Parts: sequence; structure tokens; C-alpha cells
Amino acid sequence: MKKIIYIVSAVLLFFAGAGHAQDQAAVSFVSNLADKVIKEIITSSKTPEEKLYLFQDDFQQALDLKNIGQFVLGVYWKKATPAQREAFLKEFTDFTTKTWTDRFNMYDGQQFSFSGTRDAGKAQVYVDSTISTNPPISVIWRLRQKDGTYRIIDIIVEGVSMAMSYRNEYTAFLQKNNGNLDTLTKELKKKSDNFKFTKSQK
Amino acid sequence: MILLLGGCACPTQNVDDRVSASQAEDPLEPLNRGIFAFNMALDKLILKPVAQGYRFVVPEPARRGVGNFFSNLKQPLYLINALLQGEGAEAGDISKRFLANTFWGFLGIFDVASELEIPKVTNDFGQTLAVWGWRESSPYLVLPILGPSNPRDAIGTGVDLVLTPIDWILKNEPVLLYSRIALENWDKRERALDLLDNLERSSTDFYATTRSMYQQNRRQKINESVDALEAQPADYEFDFDIDEE
Repeated sequence: MKKIIYIVSAVLLFFAGAGHAQDQAAVSFVSNLADKVIKEIITSSKTPEEKLYLFQDDFQQALDLKNIGQFVLGVYWKKATPAQREAFLKEFTDFTTKTWTDRFNMYDGQQFSFSGTRDAGKAQVYVDSTISTNPPISVIWRLRQKDGTYRIIDIIVEGVSMAMSYRNEYTAFLQKNNGNLDTLTKELKKKSDNFKFTKSQK
Repeated sequence: MILLLGGCACPTQNVDDRVSASQAEDPLEPLNRGIFAFNMALDKLILKPVAQGYRFVVPEPARRGVGNFFSNLKQPLYLINALLQGEGAEAGDISKRFLANTFWGFLGIFDVASELEIPKVTNDFGQTLAVWGWRESSPYLVLPILGPSNPRDAIGTGVDLVLTPIDWILKNEPVLLYSRIALENWDKRERALDLLDNLERSSTDFYATTRSMYQQNRRQKINESVDALEAQPADYEFDFDIDEE
């Protein structure tokens, strides 16, 4: 009898384990990136401008900016010419790199703890993590696997999807401006050129 | 039952539908934008400069003490909401936190509870209404001074205002009562200075950005407070469709 219980438990445990299949490669991708950014950029004593320079590389390697750009424009992406798309992606990348460097600058470098992964369909996966503050902050990374490597397509902080927020913002802006993508691209360039880093309060 | 028919943000539906659906949740947009502009002007005129002055004059450790003190005064309100939601474990954590910080933390100035690893939770009456069945609430509303909301959470905010036990005690001391409310919010504003500044400077339409972020974050909080089985799929689980070219 004991043996049967043991076998049944083992089988149940196996399926329970299968249900929580961990995409260890995805977790490693995010945790390595987070460690690198925290160590080399956030907790270092460099100026924001130096950090921006370092961060640009990491940002552009880790994020699938073309797909994010495509997603955040929604229907307006389909209407745009290749030249318009390219111009938009350049300004979008420049500006988000700046604003995100500034945001990361406010963060004290607490460690992430990773609690698992969930399949998101279409070769996509969610990596669940929390920043160990009290109360903890939930950060979910949405990755897409392509050609054997991972790229980030969305970051969800406390339920707020960055991709969806940008999409709602840009759609609202474009609706007010007759759907003219050039106007949005110009606006991003203007804001990017005038952007000043927040003075550190640390 | 009618309250439940608030429209479903189903994650599998097409994203283009979703975007138009979320815009349909803001039929009062022209009015909301007007109130939003008023709130922003008021913030630039009073709240923000005072918060900046406060940051400039008072050093960080003292500001942390002030924040802890006002946070501690809110615990009885969180406790009432936890009890109304039937959240026994949460109610226990809140009580422990309140007692630890009030008695050992010098009336809440020191956050002893966090040192003791007692979880920090907040609870509002909007969440209580959600637990009681009012799950979806639209349209999106911008309230004067109070900011982004919806009918359920506007009622929640109103009820929280009369449900705050410390304010019953201060009822006959209007100077203290209004000082408490003003100082609590100035302290909150100080802590949000950098992030809000960054968000505003990085947005091409700050009204749309705050609306989107508020709605997503609020849905997350509501999902956390309702029973796991009843919870809607998370807002962020939309179809991230990619056209390969």
C-alpha cells in the first residue's frame, strides 16, 4: 500500500512539475541582463550621460524595438511608408532609451527575484519577477524567441504594460493629429532633444 | 447583476478592438481632459512647488519618518476594508503592523513592522466594492483634485474619506483634520516628484498616458483583491501580434 501511495505521489509530482515547466533559458536571459544593467550602470557612479551611452547598447540588444515600434503604432504602422517607419523607429528608440535611463537612475538597484515563467503563445513567454521592497513590486518580462535568441517585447510593472501604454498614448496623439506619423516622429525628436535628466536624489 | 456587465477585457481578442474598446470607456473625454488640465494647473501652482520646497528643506530621514507616520494613521482604514472583504490574514498583518509601529515605532514614525518583515498592504473601499461583486467599472473619470477614477472607485474614495478612524477623532479639530489630509498628500507628492516629472516629459499626450497607466494598474489591484478563481485575465495578456516582413 505504501508503495502505491509513493508511486501515485511521484506521478502527481511529475505532472505538477510539468505544469510549472520553467523556461530556464528565458529566466537566465532576464536575470543576466538585470545583473549587468544594475552592476554596470545603475549602481555605478557614472554621470547620466555616460550611463546613457552604456545603456544604449544593452537596450538595443535586449529589446526587439522593431516589433515594439510596430505594436505601439497599431493601425498607423500599416498605413506608414517604409521611410516613415524607419524615421519613427529611430526617434522612438532614441527617446525611450533616454527616458528609461532616467527612470533606471531613480531605482536603487534592489535585486530581482524570479518566480517562474508562463507560456504566452506564439513563441512568447512571460518571466515573472519581483523587486524585493515592502510591498514588493511585480515586474513581468514578456520575451519573444526568434532564431534561438530571446528579445524583450514588453515589460509589465505592477500590471502596467509599457507596450500598451505607449500604444494608447501614440494612438491618442495620432488621432488628434490626423493620423500623420511624421508629426509624431517630429514631436518625439523635439522632446528627445530637450530632455533633461532628473537630478539624483540618492 | 447589472453591475457585472461592465464590458470584458478579454485577452484573446484582437488588439485593435481592444484599443477602440478602451477608448470607448472614456466617452466623457472632453470633460475629463478639461478637469485633467485644471488638476495639472493646480498641481503646478500649489502641490508641486510645496512638495519641492519640502524636499529642499527637510532631509530624507526626516521625510521618511513623516511618511511612516501618515502611513501608520491609515492602517485602521485598511483594516476596516480588509475585514469588509473577509480577508482575515490581511487583517492580521495590518493589525500587527499598526500595533508594532504605534507602540515600538514611536507613534508610527519608525517602520519597525518592516524590520520584522510584516507585509505592507493597502486596502480601499473601491477594492471592497469589487470583492462584493462590482468588478468592472466604466466610464473613466477624472475627478477634480482627486484625479483618475471611475464610478466604483469614486464612490470608494468618498467612503474611505468618512471611514478613516483617525478623522473621527479629529472631527472637532478642523485645523488638525485638514492638516492631516494636506500633509499626507504633500508627502505623497514629494515621493512621486521624480517619476511623475519623467512621465510627463516623456509623454506626447500625458492625459492618454495617465489614463492608460491608471486603468491597467487599477485592474491589477482589483484582480489581486478578488478571489483568484473569479479574477479576470490580466490586462497585459493581450495578443502581441507581430507581422513578419
